[in-house]
Amino acid sequence: MNPAADPPRSGSPPPLLEFHDVTVAYGRRPVLWNIDLVIAAPCLFGVIGPNGAGKSTLVKAALGLVPLAGGSIHFFGRPFAAVRRRVGYVPQRESVDWDFPVTATDVVLMGTYPRLGWFRRPGSRERTLARECLARVGLADVAGRQIGRLSGGQQQRVFLARALAQEADVYVLDEPMAGVDARSQDLIFRVLADLRAAGRLVVVVHHDLRSAAEWFDRVALVDMRLVATGPTADVLTAENLQRTYAGRLDVLDELGRAVAGRGRTT
Amino acid sequence: MTLAAGVSYNTLVVVAGVAAVGFAAGVVGSFGVLRRRALAGDAAAHATLAGVALAFLATGRRDLPVLLGGALVAAIAALGALVLVRRVARTRDDAATAIVLGVSFGLGIALVSGITARGIPGGAGLEQFLLGHAAALTAADALLLAGASAVAVLVVVAGLKEATLVSFDPAFAAATGWPVTLVDYALVTLVAVMVVVGLPAAGAVLVTALVVIPPVAARQWTDRVPTMLPLAGGFGLASAVVGVALSAAAPRLATGPLVVLVAAAIFTASFFFAPRRGWLARRREQRAVEGVWTRGRVLAAAAAPAGEGFLRHEIAARVAGVDAAARRRFDGAWLALVREGALVPARPAATGPADPAGAGGRWRLSTEARGRAADWSRRMRAWDEIVRTRPADARTSLTIDLPDPGTIFRDDATRPPH
Repeated sequence: MNPAADPPRSGSPPPLLEFHDVTVAYGRRPVLWNIDLVIAAPCLFGVIGPNGAGKSTLVKAALGLVPLAGGSIHFFGRPFAAVRRRVGYVPQRESVDWDFPVTATDVVLMGTYPRLGWFRRPGSRERTLARECLARVGLADVAGRQIGRLSGGQQQRVFLARALAQEADVYVLDEPMAGVDARSQDLIFRVLADLRAAGRLVVVVHHDLRSAAEWFDRVALVDMRLVATGPTADVLTAENLQRTYAGRLDVLDELGRAVAGRGRTT
Repeated sequence: MTLAAGVSYNTLVVVAGVAAVGFAAGVVGSFGVLRRRALAGDAAAHATLAGVALAFLATGRRDLPVLLGGALVAAIAALGALVLVRRVARTRDDAATAIVLGVSFGLGIALVSGITARGIPGGAGLEQFLLGHAAALTAADALLLAGASAVAVLVVVAGLKEATLVSFDPAFAAATGWPVTLVDYALVTLVAVMVVVGLPAAGAVLVTALVVIPPVAARQWTDRVPTMLPLAGGFGLASAVVGVALSAAAPRLATGPLVVLVAAAIFTASFFFAPRRGWLARRREQRAVEGVWTRGRVLAAAAAPAGEGFLRHEIAARVAGVDAAARRRFDGAWLALVREGALVPARPAATGPADPAGAGGRWRLSTEARGRAADWSRRMRAWDEIVRTRPADARTSLTIDLPDPGTIFRDDATRPPH
């Protein structure tokens, strides 16, 4: 990372999260293409796009979980590795084995591990915090239950409680509404709105356009490239959605024709 | 030395050493299983034979520390080869494991049989490392094994928090700054150490079983890692000690198979009898759900007809249909409701209460049961509504709660959103 390429901005504070010319490729296949995105102030920020558009890759890249082919990503004007304690993370629910022998409380306590460091065990302060976080997502009464015996919505709320226990300034959530009942979704959005009201930035990968329009202050429409970004009402226009989702249909049509053509010749 | 010949100091030390090895194998193996590295451990185990043979050829000595040193190098080399084959040759996990296991084990067998065939002095007996031969252990050997086991257990206990985090959610661990790869390597290295330490007791072919079976059995009994570890340790200890004792009683038998068979017995018992996760418990739960559900359907069906009551087969036709399993569930539910006093003969004079299964008489619901039935019908309509209109919510949130039929559903979905 060349410091000259990224001069400290004088006067105004650096943006909370900045993607500069980010390209990500899995092997030789690019999945994100020259993304430039700046989130300056705390808000409830939605990353919206069709399946396979690279939404999850975008946040994974921000958290250093996938390597960049080019570009840079900064939190608070600094690389993620330098500020990871200030960033809370909710991975996709399918990323873990829910049969693992841990309780809801055990999982929430994992949010306090970065502060504890190597070999130190959670103490009473951490346990109190975990209890509070579980209560905030409405799970106080299932704190001792093995995580596999929770409903999908409850599992997702356990992950959210773990992120709350990180006591971060920026929260990154990867598809937190996938496989979640209406009540859980509503509850999760309310907790996220509270975080915003407390001055935090909340970035959510999300697929449902209706609830996106209802809840997010700002959104980014992503389909490999950044299609549009800004206040939700300005971005979720018929034209932008057409550009984001219709392109995909064309690709599918072409693919369909190609397959059909090959089927005839062989 | 048979046990019957009297328990010598040496025997006592060996048994204690083997007990420590069994305990540590269960504890360390728990993370091998939770991190899904059981097969990697098996590849490392099979590679140890080549390590033993090479150590003997290089030094010309047969001391256990020397041979096990060679085994450890070979086990770690096999794990390295596993990573290499997977990354560089871009081979899938299972294929890479099979390649490394097969090649390294082949090498070991070739070396050992070569040594035996050429009659290299002192080379006889290396094949004991194939299936384990604890009777050959000296007290000094056993103390060495116990010491290594104690260190392995201490390392796992010290890193319990880190190992649990990385095993459960590597993505979250990485995002929050934990060196996932380092912890992973530490875990598989510990597994390699345990495989080597377990070698004299169980042998290269079977030692994995000592590292894998006790943790899997322990998982059946508990939902917490801190409970699972000592339990797996205890199962491993019992397997090792009983297996070694059995082989001492019949000195011709290799130790490994006996240790594994004892572990398998513990696993089988756990599979059947563990509370909640055991086969019996799950079957009982299934029966209880059937019972609660079918009684509810019977009550709801019986609530509809008023006046002079209803016949048993009328309700059966509505609830059960014709297949045998449905009839069995209906019969059970009907009998239970009669015993509870929820179903009573409509005209007690005509049909005796001692004829609960009797098809002839007419039946009615007791006053209390009528309330229950109305409640059930109301709930059933609510659930039907959810399943019909919000299938996604129904899939994620409806759960049949036992044993209280009054709260059969622990549903988030029926509650209003705030």
